[in-house]
Amino acid sequence: MNILQIVQILINGLALGSVYALIATGFSVIFNVLKFSNFSHGALMTLSAFVGYFLAASQGMGLVPTILVSMVCGALVALLGELVAFRRITVRNSPNIYFFVSSITLGTLFEGIVTIWVGANFFSYPRFFPNPTIKLGDLTISTSSLIMFLLSAAALIILAFVIQKTKLGRALRSVSFDRDTSSLMGINVTRTIQFAFIVSGALAGLAGVFLGINYTLYPTLGSLVVKGFIASVIGGLGSLPGAVIGAVLLGLVETGLNYAGTLQGFGTSYTPVFTFLIMLVFLLVRPRGIAGSNIQEKA
Amino acid sequence: MAALIQSIVIQILITVIAVAGIYVLTGLTGMFSLGSAAFMAIGSYASGLLVVRLGLPVPVAFVLAIALSVLIGFIVGLPTVRLRRDYISLVTLGFGEAIIALLNSATTLTGGANGFAGIPRVVTLPVAIVSAVVVVALVAWFKTSKYGRQCIAVKGDELAAKAMGVNVPRVKMIAFLVSVAITSFAGCLYAFYITFVDPSTFGWKQSAEWVIMVFFGGANSLTGSIFGALFLGALPEVLRSLLTGLEQYRTIIYAVLVLLIINFKPSGVFGEWEITQLSPKNLAKRRARKAAAKSKKGGAQ
Repeated sequence: MNILQIVQILINGLALGSVYALIATGFSVIFNVLKFSNFSHGALMTLSAFVGYFLAASQGMGLVPTILVSMVCGALVALLGELVAFRRITVRNSPNIYFFVSSITLGTLFEGIVTIWVGANFFSYPRFFPNPTIKLGDLTISTSSLIMFLLSAAALIILAFVIQKTKLGRALRSVSFDRDTSSLMGINVTRTIQFAFIVSGALAGLAGVFLGINYTLYPTLGSLVVKGFIASVIGGLGSLPGAVIGAVLLGLVETGLNYAGTLQGFGTSYTPVFTFLIMLVFLLVRPRGIAGSNIQEKA
Repeated sequence: MAALIQSIVIQILITVIAVAGIYVLTGLTGMFSLGSAAFMAIGSYASGLLVVRLGLPVPVAFVLAIALSVLIGFIVGLPTVRLRRDYISLVTLGFGEAIIALLNSATTLTGGANGFAGIPRVVTLPVAIVSAVVVVALVAWFKTSKYGRQCIAVKGDELAAKAMGVNVPRVKMIAFLVSVAITSFAGCLYAFYITFVDPSTFGWKQSAEWVIMVFFGGANSLTGSIFGALFLGALPEVLRSLLTGLEQYRTIIYAVLVLLIINFKPSGVFGEWEITQLSPKNLAKRRARKAAAKSKKGGAQ
């Protein structure tokens, strides 16, 4: 194993990690605001990736229109989901478990719709790039990995800017901290929650397209959301920077494990087992994750 | 026809057993596992392998398989029971995916994605009925026991329960392990009825479906949860006989029903009501209470 291979693994790991970061942040935005784990996130990724495929990619449009269609679809469906599944529970201040059930139900609903719509078939996006690889000296980088990394990084930087610097972002942080007080301070809590769902849905759409490019499109693609969950547990539940750090680490570890597995001759199939064990050990040693603090039930 | 009905009834009874396990975890304690189906997978694969490969008698294999599941459940639960309840859902979801990956890749042992066939069929209708009745009775007993009351306290408010001297991590762990044991037992029955298991049956969607059944009937009521399992378990069969092709809408119909329930009757169809409230003893008690209230009112006037 020479230095070139290590650099190669690092680059691929970063690209994979950046996609996981999109999933993990989309999940964490909702976790921050409403304090529950949104299990419909994965199915939302699948749904928007398929809408992007049928409305744009299969019509011969390029990568950018496909991504835009998927992001808009993700945002709209998330908004609708909030109205149908979470609005009344939020207003009634119901216990956390109702959010769980609602999100699980919404997830099965989305997945059911996709399954009926496309059947159990596999689809793949057309080749978006004329050159599948780019040569940089001795390094060969796949174009899709590079584009994924750049676009994910751009999306995350925009998200960080919006959350830190704009009025809406400040409202979002305030509502995440304390819903009732924010409402007393004149923040429209419902609008802010809707904004959080739009952000999360758009991120889900983007991540869905990238997962579709990376693997293929199939109705249970959304189960890859588990990578985002693992990343946010490692990073610390509810922390956006933690989610990004955890995701990049997970991407690097997975790529490394895949490489080692292929060298040892048992392929990549055991990687999920190892990543799960890593998460378990992480929870034993440092339960609050790299950056989080939300570990125990609050009164 | 009779054979078809018998097969449907057995499968619904197995679902009832699994849902009784989920009720202990979700209904009583307020925790969500999206890896329950993975424990069912461990139960069915372990018992099947022990009987087919090692030739152990079936009851011994069942006990060993359940013990293995509980051991694995302990390892999974250990880091999570001290933390927020979100963690157990996230960790069990990851666990479920890891188990499916393991079953898919250990092809020499499990047959991989092609599944594992050749398990003898030993589960008959009487066996299924007796198992379901025993499990439901055990869960009903658990609910009224000291641990069941502690579980309900933990669900209501963890901090308050802790203040009242409940050992919260321990109670959560007990509920989790009881639930694991029951779902794993359901897995054993499943394997020895269907005679064939493959990893794709045990995904997180199966666990989610059970949670949905519990909430449909009422998360606070064992009667309601069992009703949810019976009703939603029988629904696809009814739909199938009504109109072919309607069956594929099963998950969508489930989801819409549950969304309606969550929005408009969050306590589920049965709320807190239990069927034991219909027993003569309880009815007599209630009548006495009513009479006492009436006479008190009369006295005041």
